[in-house]
Amino acid sequence: MDFGYSLSKSSTMKIENLENSKFKALAKLEPDATKCIGCGCCTASCSAGVFADMSLRQILLSLQRDCQDKYLPMLQNCMLCGKCMLVCPRGINTRHLILSICKIYGIEQ
Amino acid sequence: MRERFLVGFDPFVLPFLCGMVFVLAYCLFYLVRILAQLSAEDRKKFFKSLLLPSNALKNIRDMFLDCLIHVKLWKRNPNLGYMHSSIAFGWFMLIVIGHIETFMYVPGKAGLFYYPIFFRYFMEVDNQELKGSLLFFLMDFFLLIVLSGILLAMIKRIWRRFFGMRRTTRLSITDHIGLYSLWAIFPLRWIAEGFTAGVAGGSFMTIPINMLLKNFMSNPENFNIAWWLYSIALGTFMFALPFSRYMHIPAEILLIPMKRAGLKVYHPRKGFALAQIYTCPSCGVCIDACPMSANKQNCKDTTVYLVRQLKRNNARRMNAMSNKCLMCGKCQEVCQIGLQSYDIRMNIRERARYNIQLKHNYLASYNPDIKQAKVLYYAGCMSSLTPVIGRSIKKLLSIAKVDYTQMDEGGGICCGRPLILAGKKAEAQAMIAKNTEIIKASGASILLVSCAICYRVFKNEYKLSGIRVMHYTEYFNELIKKGKLPITKGNVRYAYHDPCDLGRGCGIYDEPREALSFVGGLAHAEKERAMSVCCGGSIGSLTLNHEDRKPIVEASISNMLYSNPDYIVTACPLCQKTFSMYSPVEVLDFAQALCNGLQEKDVN
Amino acid sequence: MAENIIIIGGGPCGLEAAKTLRDLGYAPIILEKKQELGGHLRKWDRLFPEGVQAKQVLKELTSGLKGIEWHTSVDIETIEKSRKGYTVTLSTGVSYNSPALLLTNGFKLFPAEKKEEYGYGIYDKVITNADLEQYFAKGKDNVIKKPKTIGFVHCVGSRDEKVGNRQCSKVCCATAVKQACEMKELFPDATIYSFYMDLRLFGRNYEDMYLTAQKKYGIRYIRGRVSEVSEDIDGSLIVKAEDTLLCKPLRLKIDLLVLMTGIVPENSSASLAQQLNIELGEDGFYKPKDTILEPCMAENNGLFMAGACTGPKTIPETLSEARAAAVQIHNYLNKSWISGIL
Repeated sequence: MDFGYSLSKSSTMKIENLENSKFKALAKLEPDATKCIGCGCCTASCSAGVFADMSLRQILLSLQRDCQDKYLPMLQNCMLCGKCMLVCPRGINTRHLILSICKIYGIEQ
Repeated sequence: MRERFLVGFDPFVLPFLCGMVFVLAYCLFYLVRILAQLSAEDRKKFFKSLLLPSNALKNIRDMFLDCLIHVKLWKRNPNLGYMHSSIAFGWFMLIVIGHIETFMYVPGKAGLFYYPIFFRYFMEVDNQELKGSLLFFLMDFFLLIVLSGILLAMIKRIWRRFFGMRRTTRLSITDHIGLYSLWAIFPLRWIAEGFTAGVAGGSFMTIPINMLLKNFMSNPENFNIAWWLYSIALGTFMFALPFSRYMHIPAEILLIPMKRAGLKVYHPRKGFALAQIYTCPSCGVCIDACPMSANKQNCKDTTVYLVRQLKRNNARRMNAMSNKCLMCGKCQEVCQIGLQSYDIRMNIRERARYNIQLKHNYLASYNPDIKQAKVLYYAGCMSSLTPVIGRSIKKLLSIAKVDYTQMDEGGGICCGRPLILAGKKAEAQAMIAKNTEIIKASGASILLVSCAICYRVFKNEYKLSGIRVMHYTEYFNELIKKGKLPITKGNVRYAYHDPCDLGRGCGIYDEPREALSFVGGLAHAEKERAMSVCCGGSIGSLTLNHEDRKPIVEASISNMLYSNPDYIVTACPLCQKTFSMYSPVEVLDFAQALCNGLQEKDVN
Repeated sequence: MAENIIIIGGGPCGLEAAKTLRDLGYAPIILEKKQELGGHLRKWDRLFPEGVQAKQVLKELTSGLKGIEWHTSVDIETIEKSRKGYTVTLSTGVSYNSPALLLTNGFKLFPAEKKEEYGYGIYDKVITNADLEQYFAKGKDNVIKKPKTIGFVHCVGSRDEKVGNRQCSKVCCATAVKQACEMKELFPDATIYSFYMDLRLFGRNYEDMYLTAQKKYGIRYIRGRVSEVSEDIDGSLIVKAEDTLLCKPLRLKIDLLVLMTGIVPENSSASLAQQLNIELGEDGFYKPKDTILEPCMAENNGLFMAGACTGPKTIPETLSEARAAAVQIHNYLNKSWISGIL
């Protein structure tokens, strides 16, 4: 039977069964991973962000929601300059966080 | 003087003999190994330098001053210096005189390792002659010197402050074995020689002990036990030596000429680095010096423990320890053997894997429009967070009527040092290349840098021939001396903090101080110049978090407040930002301090 | 004769507590460090949420002080505790005795210079919320001249580990909404942006204020903390932030930037705490005996505290606490006299 409707993939996030063992490992390696309040300072001041997309805030949130595939490649633009570390109001050790994300999730394309 | 036994041998020499052979074999093996690990080029460089007569003389001088006299320790603390040189030099002399005696009286036995060591056992005096008594006197004298050193070493275990040390290294098991056997050697020697003093003769140390304990000492049954114990102590020490900190005794002999040859560390635990690792005497001077050890934290992550983990090849700890380090270079500055901990750590970091392929493709499309000028100013990433620096610099430049332009107005490319510090030297090359291109295209003759972190990388990693890379402290000092800046001296007192990358990193200590002395008085910090304490904000540390850094920053600030300055002045945006968080005294940037000294009429 | 009660701090809290204590039959003595009574209220023009004149409130608080002794420009040298209570000695040598002591030494506005990346004290066009209130009160300012674009930055010195203040200052969100509306009233042509991390409009009618700001005044709220401010060649400011809801970094050129400086402990709190043996919280405010049941009482006998010295508070909250503390002092003294402790 065909009612003329076609199924498109739902854009709703299903977060009750999140696979977050990797995030747990990240939080163990760098406990600051859970401290973000999403103010966006890291993104706003990012040296690489002037030239390309780079938002640590988005990446971190995507890791918590286990939907990081689209966001992780942004890390390849990072110059590791540490400006985000200086502006972070929560005092997150962003440089080590970035390195730890790479270590656990791996971004090699 | 004649031999007591026809056969110049007794089984008790065996422990010593085995130990000695073992040590020699071990050292030889590692000597060959270290040399084999060097690159062909380095090896050539090393041998070439060895053969140069002037170098050879300098090497011998250094070996005498460093290995035997421990001059650096004397400078640090006389008690510590005496303790080390009494043991090292005293023991050395005992061995030398032992050999002289053997050569003089029984040249035939000179080839036996053990003979000069146990000379008093094998020889007997028939009639005291002047020459013999003098030698005996010298032997006893040096034994006394060594014993006094051992006594101090024992005191040091309980009363570190007497030796100017707050913390010492926690010893490993083999270190303990080495230590106790070393302590045992000389008292046992004294007793053993005391036994034979009745027959073999002695001097002011050995004869009295022989007389004092006549009944006990004249019993031949005890005779051999004492010599056995002495030999066992020696043997134990020799067997423990390669696995303990006492390996520094033979290793330093290799390290001195290697350093003179100007070799570079290329691997954290091979070749030149391995020679350094073996030479580390675990003295623990770096523990007190390390800024991380403020509040007794992170002591276990200091260089001396890193060396121990390198020996054990514990990869996990090695990485953790090198990643935590602030890379301030202080431990290297205080190190008695000049262990290149900075290079070793950098090598560990370069080997760390992070599973990321950085892609800085966007750099290619970045072509800023920079006007041509004589001076090109690079503010650096951090400076946009400390606007007062850029503002003060521009004010000074325009007052001095300098033809300048800024390279990274509104955001430029990172200098590359943060990446290098994270062990990604290859990836940093993209930035270095792009910045070089921009700098060269600008046609400037001077590159003016206000960030100490950037300055170090511009100075050491960039190839900017024809362009003078200047830190703003150097540049403004020159401008002041040329009379281009109308500044007056006020009555304020500044305490100048040496940023690690500028001071220990690039050797700039005098220029900022000279310039500041034109605008005010200088208040000394407790530790300054090469001994300055890292502010604690260093991007050199990858793993220290915000809260971990607080005690480090506070300790560094209290170091700066030593002589109650009106202001703390620093010449690095990161130091300034870090200090400002907790300092009770206002923290000024160097250029800001100079601006404070500008004559009123020029300001408007 | 009425018993003296020493109150340290002559702001709204100290004044209200003094009046209540007087009405309960005591003779309060207010010791104020500044030249005048009234505290931070003197610096403010209008109060949220309705926009009541601060002058009005101040007049109310500072009138009718009969029966209350007050000293301004006072410098406290020592405070000693005895069995009979407290003895406060001033630098002039004068000393006062009191069976109970009330601390109402309030708060300090975060010094905006410490947040260097915002450029206060470096760029002319960066001002603070307190500066803006002064402008509202006086009606003129050297910097504020027909701004076309105005930015408000929330949480300056609040919720910021880098300046050592983790706490939320509570009142600045409402103040920012209020001030933005007032600016729009004064400059109807101006576009006003407000950069916030979270809008914490917790009190009654505060949300209405927010709604008015959106609906009537068209204030543009951007969820993103300002990361840095620089100056353009023409002297206007460039603000960098991320619009975190749109996930886009932005740069905004503006003519005036107002920093909503937060509430931090008053400098004297640390030294008073040391002298009186009071524990300070990690945030530097006094720690009361119990944050829920005894928020106005210290661990030590006879020592009370009220108002913003125990954390950021609105004025009505402060005044209620002042009255509560006064009643608690009264109860404490009655009990002590009955049981013969004093």
